[in-house]
Amino acid sequence: MTATTVSDPVVEELVQICGADHVFTERSARYNRARVPAPFPVHRWSEYVPDVVVLPTSAEQISEVVKLANRYRIPVVPRAGGTGLTDGAVPLRHGILVDVKLMNNILEIDMDDRTVTVQPGINMLKLNEELKPYGVIYPDDPASYPCSLVGGRIGTSGWSLIGGRYGHTRDLVISFEIVLPTGELIRVGDGGGPKIRKSSTGYQLKHLFMGHQGTLGIVTEATLELVPRPEAEFAAFFSYPDYDSAWRSTGSLAKSGLATLAGVVLFDEWKLSYLRRDDEAYIPQPDSVRCVVATAMYGTTDEVRPAAKRLLRIGQESGGNYLGDEISQGDWASRHDRYATPLHGRTPSGQVVPMSWHCEDASINWTALPLVREEWHEIVRRLIDRHPIFDDWGMFAYTNGAFKPWGDYLTEIDVGIWEQELDDESWAAWVQAKRDIAAVAVDHGGSISACHGACREGEVDLVPREMGGGFDVMKRIKRVLDPLNIMNPGKYLLDQAYEEGEPS
Amino acid sequence: MSEQSEPTGNGHREAQFAQEWRNAAYNCYSSGHKFCREVCPVMQVTRDEVHSPTAFHANIVAMEQGHLSVEDVARDYVHCTQCGACELRCPNTLFTGDFYRFRTRTVDVVKAMRALAVDSGVHQPNWQRWVDATAQWKSEPVLGDVPVSQDHVADWAAGLSIPVGGETILFCDCEGAFYRTSVPRAAARILQAAGVEFGLMREQWCCGGPAAEMGYTDRAREFAEHNVADWRQVGAKRIIVFDPHDYIAFTEDYPRYFGDDYQFEIVLMVELAAELVRDGRLQLTHPVERVVTYHDACRLNKRKGIHEAPREILRAIPGLTFKDVDHVTQWSYCSGAGAGLSIERPDLTAEISRRRVERAAGLGVDTLVSACVWSERPLSEQGGKRDEPVDVVDLLELVAQAAGLDGGRAGPSATSATVGTEGTEAAQ
Repeated sequence: MTATTVSDPVVEELVQICGADHVFTERSARYNRARVPAPFPVHRWSEYVPDVVVLPTSAEQISEVVKLANRYRIPVVPRAGGTGLTDGAVPLRHGILVDVKLMNNILEIDMDDRTVTVQPGINMLKLNEELKPYGVIYPDDPASYPCSLVGGRIGTSGWSLIGGRYGHTRDLVISFEIVLPTGELIRVGDGGGPKIRKSSTGYQLKHLFMGHQGTLGIVTEATLELVPRPEAEFAAFFSYPDYDSAWRSTGSLAKSGLATLAGVVLFDEWKLSYLRRDDEAYIPQPDSVRCVVATAMYGTTDEVRPAAKRLLRIGQESGGNYLGDEISQGDWASRHDRYATPLHGRTPSGQVVPMSWHCEDASINWTALPLVREEWHEIVRRLIDRHPIFDDWGMFAYTNGAFKPWGDYLTEIDVGIWEQELDDESWAAWVQAKRDIAAVAVDHGGSISACHGACREGEVDLVPREMGGGFDVMKRIKRVLDPLNIMNPGKYLLDQAYEEGEPS
Repeated sequence: MSEQSEPTGNGHREAQFAQEWRNAAYNCYSSGHKFCREVCPVMQVTRDEVHSPTAFHANIVAMEQGHLSVEDVARDYVHCTQCGACELRCPNTLFTGDFYRFRTRTVDVVKAMRALAVDSGVHQPNWQRWVDATAQWKSEPVLGDVPVSQDHVADWAAGLSIPVGGETILFCDCEGAFYRTSVPRAAARILQAAGVEFGLMREQWCCGGPAAEMGYTDRAREFAEHNVADWRQVGAKRIIVFDPHDYIAFTEDYPRYFGDDYQFEIVLMVELAAELVRDGRLQLTHPVERVVTYHDACRLNKRKGIHEAPREILRAIPGLTFKDVDHVTQWSYCSGAGAGLSIERPDLTAEISRRRVERAAGLGVDTLVSACVWSERPLSEQGGKRDEPVDVVDLLELVAQAAGLDGGRAGPSATSATVGTEGTEAAQ
């Protein structure tokens, strides 16, 4: 039953390091750790299967596994929740998959210096359940809040739905411990103090070791920010007759300067018509409702109450029609669950088919949003014309900056893919569409990804263009830190770092 | 590396299975949300992705593509209590299910895969032994090496003067009949006190639900056919059950077996008891001085949406301090006893129960009240191990006590005393 290209001595050594109960070579254990929800060529599943899976329980074990991988020159792929929307956790070159889910303990809650120290396998919802009695929260709130894990949030440098108020993952992770690609265990933060938020000592290594998609190491422990549990939440949804007025209103709301503002989200006409397919909140809305802008605020009651009045005034004065408490509160409360389910899928002829949801997520400045939107929809329209297994599920633009949410936007186009029908030709067309979508973002002065990462097939080709000279620095760093290209090889075009002629 | 399974002898059966379940599997596979994972009682302990509802669906996609066979995955599907939490937490069910008349059916997927495994000759040894013993004795071997038999299936009712037959039958679950006999005794006392006429079966067999849950569908059907024939022979119209697992078997499995011919009204004892209290037919006048919390039985709360009636009863018991945890929070709670997990992976059941009891202890209670007799053995074991023990009591035991009825609490230690032969009208 067991089939693996990893030689038995390696498996034996892994068993010695992690224990027999935590090393898996069975087919199902490996096949179920081949993919993430990112676009996945399901018809080529077997190309992405790891050779062996380990579930370590300590940083020391992970360090030993990585050292062993260096000795045998076997790829190592870290995996936390496996919920990422780029393919950081997909084993492109097989090898040893290090799954950190068993490391999910809370190590310390420090109510004086306001930190919680955790292992990387803990989920934010579960963490917040434990923090509730203390009156604090860890406010990292991605769409995958009920299932993604802290380790993956660091590996992708994640983005939070309430980041405008509380910051994104990079603002909320104070320091962490990481096993480097050669097996050394170090701690990085702003400077050296594990609970220090701001330091000018040395290089700013925390940023380097976030968002690398597992190419620079495996996080084994993290110290996180605690904020007071908000007393008040306020959500307001506005409707607009056209995109232009919704876009202008979004700008006015985002520039309001209200410190409690957690986010402003603009849904375009395609997204609205997608929601009208089956969402009971939107089906009854009159035709004049073409675009929607959602806003949310958090803070103390004393802050949120007056700010909410001002926000409502700005929304209405800039052309918005308040959709009422029921939609506002209900839609906001269901923000993690609502906007992407496979059952919404339709072929161009209207047939309901199970489609998987894929979103391309650039960072785009406010001024560029209208043009990017037109060009992206056109790319997807051409894709659907040729391959009716794709479906345009619309776009949204979400304030992107932490604490100062006005200049640029997480901009997503959601595309449904009928995976049951995927083949090489349609997959290649999809990859080209992704490349085109990324090129539009870069051409408009944006960035290929605001939150998922940009290492997926297709868009990754544009990374050197976006990064310019910075990409050469990335390659040099990779080669210095990972001389044998052990850590998650094949990602981010970093194999180029090891080609002849590359300066080492 | 590219891997393709060699076609096996079960290839045709597997292909048919994959065809039947492929859209359900893709609806999960395509979603990829995995919101189910952290509410899953097994995943919370093992943290192993192959035990997740996501994997249970993805495996079918992999089978369709020829990557995995039933032999590869059968053991993974042991790791499920069929509690239904994942189905409730699935965005497909939550937000679009009504519109498309679709709901995620992980429990059915797990049952179907287990049945495919059995049909393909892939057995889990402890389940096989359990079902074989059940077939031999007609009751589940809940006392381990001590045989359970038809001679003793109604011993729990000793001295209660319950007739055999009639329009209303009290069905006694195997765990209740042989292990926690205090629960059926409490149920019977309550019914008698409230003036509800009822009888016992002439010859009661296991409901067959556990066999169905473990994949032994033919065996399950045999039990069902016997029981339904017995009900018909005594002219039964109404079946009262106190065990949520029986309730599932009688309201979901049996109607599938018998179709339109199945006309029995199935009454859940907890709901009936709440009604009796509400209508004043059962007076709860004896104070019960305990500080309790309620354990939402998975098959009531998550599978059937029944969470109000038990709380209504607890609030009606004088003297009781009730520290409630809402039923949605309890989606992620379980005793770990369901669907045969305790038979194949008792270590996991123990750990799931330990965590459940720990949550109860964190509320500062002295008693955890359950309405599922199967949960009470593992929960009691863990409750008793604590420095400050948490007592685990069945809701019906509490009701009987509050109503001043004899025959309330009789724990496992009383089991041997109730396994006797004398004087039970129902014994054949």
